[in-house]
Amino acid sequence: MKKLFLIVSVLFAVIMSSCKKDEVQQQPVINLEKIYEGSVEGTGLKVELYSKQISQYAQYSTFWIAVKDAAGNPIQNATINVVPFMDMGSMQHSAPVENPSASAVDNLYKFSAVFIMTGNWALNINITANSQTGAVSIPLNIQAPAKPKVKSFTSSADGSKYFYAYIEPTSPVVGINDMEIAVFKTGPMMMTFPPDSSMTIGLEPEMPSMGHGSPNNVSPVHIGNGHYKGKVNFTMTGLWKLNLDFMSGGTLAGEDQYFEIEF
Amino acid sequence: MNKTIIFAIIILMANFAHAQNEDSVFKDSSKIVDLTEVTVYNSKKVNKATDYFKSNQSATLEDIMSRLPELSLIKRGPYGMEPSIRNLSDGRINVLIDGMKIHGACTDKMDPVTIYIEPSNLKSLEVESGGTGSFSGSSIGGTINMKKDEPLLYSGKTFSGIVQSGFQTAAKSFYEGVQLNYSTKKFGIKGTTTYRNSSNYRSGGGKIIPFSQFEKINYSLSLKYKLNERLYYLADYIGDKGYNIGYPALPMDVGFASANIGSMSLSYSDNSKKLYTWNLKVYANSVVHKMDDTKRPNVPMHMDMPGESNTKGFYAEASYRINRHQKIDVRIDASSVFLKADMTMYQPGELPMYMLTWPDNRTNQAGIAAKWNVHVSDKSSFMISGRLDGINSGLVTTESKSQMSIFGYEKKRNDFLKSVSAKAYQKAGKNISIISSLSYSERFPTATELYGFYLFNASENYDYIGNPFLNPEKSIQAELTGNYRFGRSNIKLTGYYIHVLDYITGMVNPALSVMTIGAAGVKRFEQIKFADIIGAEGSLFLNVNKNVDVVSTLKYAYGKDSENNPLVAIAPLKSIVSVRRTFNNFYVQAESEMSAAQNRVNKMAAELPTNGFAIFHLRGEYNFAFFKLNSKAQFGVENILDKNYTEHLDWGKIPRQGRNFYIQLKVAF
Repeated sequence: MKKLFLIVSVLFAVIMSSCKKDEVQQQPVINLEKIYEGSVEGTGLKVELYSKQISQYAQYSTFWIAVKDAAGNPIQNATINVVPFMDMGSMQHSAPVENPSASAVDNLYKFSAVFIMTGNWALNINITANSQTGAVSIPLNIQAPAKPKVKSFTSSADGSKYFYAYIEPTSPVVGINDMEIAVFKTGPMMMTFPPDSSMTIGLEPEMPSMGHGSPNNVSPVHIGNGHYKGKVNFTMTGLWKLNLDFMSGGTLAGEDQYFEIEF
Repeated sequence: MNKTIIFAIIILMANFAHAQNEDSVFKDSSKIVDLTEVTVYNSKKVNKATDYFKSNQSATLEDIMSRLPELSLIKRGPYGMEPSIRNLSDGRINVLIDGMKIHGACTDKMDPVTIYIEPSNLKSLEVESGGTGSFSGSSIGGTINMKKDEPLLYSGKTFSGIVQSGFQTAAKSFYEGVQLNYSTKKFGIKGTTTYRNSSNYRSGGGKIIPFSQFEKINYSLSLKYKLNERLYYLADYIGDKGYNIGYPALPMDVGFASANIGSMSLSYSDNSKKLYTWNLKVYANSVVHKMDDTKRPNVPMHMDMPGESNTKGFYAEASYRINRHQKIDVRIDASSVFLKADMTMYQPGELPMYMLTWPDNRTNQAGIAAKWNVHVSDKSSFMISGRLDGINSGLVTTESKSQMSIFGYEKKRNDFLKSVSAKAYQKAGKNISIISSLSYSERFPTATELYGFYLFNASENYDYIGNPFLNPEKSIQAELTGNYRFGRSNIKLTGYYIHVLDYITGMVNPALSVMTIGAAGVKRFEQIKFADIIGAEGSLFLNVNKNVDVVSTLKYAYGKDSENNPLVAIAPLKSIVSVRRTFNNFYVQAESEMSAAQNRVNKMAAELPTNGFAIFHLRGEYNFAFFKLNSKAQFGVENILDKNYTEHLDWGKIPRQGRNFYIQLKVAF
C-alpha cells in the first residue's frame, strides 16, 4: 500500500512538473509565422513582424508586431504608426491601413493593411518606445491571390475612387457565413485612404456555372472603421460570386461589383 | 368507352374469408364469416387471391398491385413504380415487408419498398385502407404489408423447389427464378433467387422507349426452427441489387441500387390460451442508391447523386381473447431511420459543387396500438382501434445543421401522433352485409417534406425545399361498403370520403432561386387548410358456371383542395374485366383494361390531361407433368391491339408497353 502511494505521488509530481514546464514556455506567437526580424535604426529596439502566412497577397492583410528592448524584453506600450508604401518610379503611393492601438495584447501589436496591387511594397513603421523614436522599413513582395480580394470603383455619386476589400468568410462553409468587407475612400495623391461609412451595400450571391443564388442573405452594414458586416449563405460548395452594389446617399455609387470565392 | 377495371381481389377476399385463421377465436360461433368480413374487408385484405391476379408468373409486384382497386401506381420508369392507396402515397401510407419499416434511399422516390419483394416470395399482400390501416404505423392513407413466404417444415418431402423461366417480347426481357427448400420436422431453410433483365421496351405503335432498360437480382434466405409445438423462430434475409435501371421520365437513371433486409422473429400460437398468439420481431435494413447521368445525351452538367438509408426497429404483437365474443390485439413498436443523400456537380475548371440533398437526419419513433374486436351477435360486430406515436426527428451532423441553418433550422422536434378508428359490420338480410367505418388519423411529415434541399421534381419542373416547421397532417375519413352475395358470386360497392387537414403540398416561393438548370422555380412544402378525396370502388365476382368466372373491378376518385383546385395525381375512372374459362388442365383468360380520360388536372403542378384508353389481353395456362414433376406453362399476349397509351399517373406521358407476347415455364419438385 505504501509502495503504491509512493508511486502515485511520484507520478503526480512528474505530471505537475511537466505541466508547469508548458506554462513557462509561453508562446505568444502560436499559429503565426515570423516574416521579419530586425532592429530599429538609431535605437536599441528590436522588432519582429508576424503574419498568418509567409507569402503575402494583395488583400486585407493582418500583421502582428513585437517590440523588444535591447535585452529582449517585450515592450507593452509602444506607439506605432505604419505606412504601407509602394515606389513605382514615376509615382509613389500608399495603401489603406488600420494602425495598432497603443498597448500590446500578448506582447503583440496588431494592425492591418490592404495591399491594393501586387509588386514590391514596404511597410514603413515609426516606433516610439522607452523614450526612443526610430523607424524601420520592412520590404514585402505582394503576390496576386487565387481570386482578387481587393477591388475598386469610381463612385458615380462623388467621382472619388473607393477600394473595397474582402475580409470574411476566410473559411467558408455550406450554410450561414459571417461576411465582412472594408471600404476605403482614396485621399489626395493616393497617400491616405480614410475608412468609409457612407455606403449602403446590396449583396446577392450567385453560382455562375448554374445561375442560381442563395436565400436569406443579410447585406453588410457599417459597423465602424469602414468595416461592413452581414451574412452570406452558401447552399453548396463550388465557385460562388458575391455580387455587390454600393449605394451612396440614394445614388448607385458602384454597381456590378463582386468577389469570387471558391471552396 | 367506360372505364372499368377488373380486379378481383376484393371480391375474392370475401370468398376466401372463410379461410382466415386469425378469427378462429370465434370458431365456436357459427358467424365466423361475418366477423371475418369485418376484418377482411376493410382492414386486412389477406390476399389469397393474389395468385389469381398474378397475371403471369413473371408478373412483378407492381403488376399485381395495379390490379387492386384501392391501389394506383405512380410511374417514373418501367420499374420501381410507387404505390398509392386511394391516391395517397409516400409518407401518407405505410409500405411494410412483414411489418418492417424500410425507407427508400432515393430522393426522387425511384426505389419504393415494393421492389424488394418478388411475387414468387410473396405469401400475401395485405392492403388496409384509410385511417383503419394505422395499426402498424401512423398513416392517413393506410398500409400495404407484404408478407413473405416462410420455409416449409417437413411434410413428406425433405427437398423441394421451383424453377421458372420466362421471356417477354416487348422489352426482350428475361425472367429466371429458383426456389429451394430443405426441411426436417423441426427445421426448414429456404433460398430464392430471381433475376430479371430487360432491354428498352417497345411502346404501342412500335417506338422504342430509350432509357427503359433494367437489370436486377433479388435473393433471399430464410430459416425456420420449431422450438416447440407453439413456438417458432424465424430468421430472414432479403438482398436486392439493381443495375443500370432506366427512368425515361426523369433526367437521370440509376447506376446501382442495393438493399439488405434482415430480421429475426419469434412466433407463438396456441388457441387454447387466452393470450393465443404473439409475435416478436427485431429487424435492420439498409439501402444504397446511386443515380447516374453518364449515359444520357446533352447533360448540361454531370452530377453524382448517391443516397442511403439505415433503419433499425422492432415490434411485438399479441392477440388476447377476452371471451368468446371479444378479443384484443396489441402492438408495440419502435424504429429509427437514418437518411442521407448528397449531390456533387462537376463544372470543368472549377472545384466540385457539393451539397446535401437529404441533410443527414434521423427519425426515431415509438408507438403503441390496440384493436378491440367485439362480436355482438350473429348479425353484427364492431371493432375499435387506436394508436399513439411519439416521434423525435432532427438533423444529426454539424454539416447538415450548418447547411439547413440557411432556413433557420437546427433544433430537433418532438411530435405526438394519435389515430383512432371504429368499424362496424351489420348483416342486413340473408345476402346483404354493410360495413361502415369512421376514423381520425395523423401522420408525420417525410424527410423530404422536412429537410429536402432543392430536390428536383421532373414532373412539375420545380425544385422542392423542405420545411422543418410543418405540422403533422390530420385526416378524417368515412367509408361505407355494401356487399351482396348470391350463390358463389358476389358484388361489392364501397364509397369513401377522405378529408385531410393541414394538407402538405408544394407552394411556389418566388424569393428562392432555382438550383436545377432549366427548372421553372422553387417550391417549398407548405400546408393548406385541407384537401378532400371522394371516391368509389366496386368489384364483381361472378361464378357463371363451374368453368367460367368473371371478375371485374371499377374505381373512381375525385380530389380537390381547400382552394377548389384539383389534387395532383388523381387516377381517373378505371375498370378491369377478366373472364376465365377453365378446361381440364388449362384455362384461357380474356381481359380488358379501360380508363377514362383525366381532365381535372392541377395546373400548379404542371399536370396535363390524359386521354382515356382501352387495351385487351389474352392469357392462358397449361398444367402438365414433366418427368412426373408438376409443371406449368403460361403464355399470352398483352395489349393485343398495340395501343399507344399512357396512364394518368405516368410521369412525362411516356407511352406504355405495346403488344407483348410472353411465355413462362415453371417446374416444381
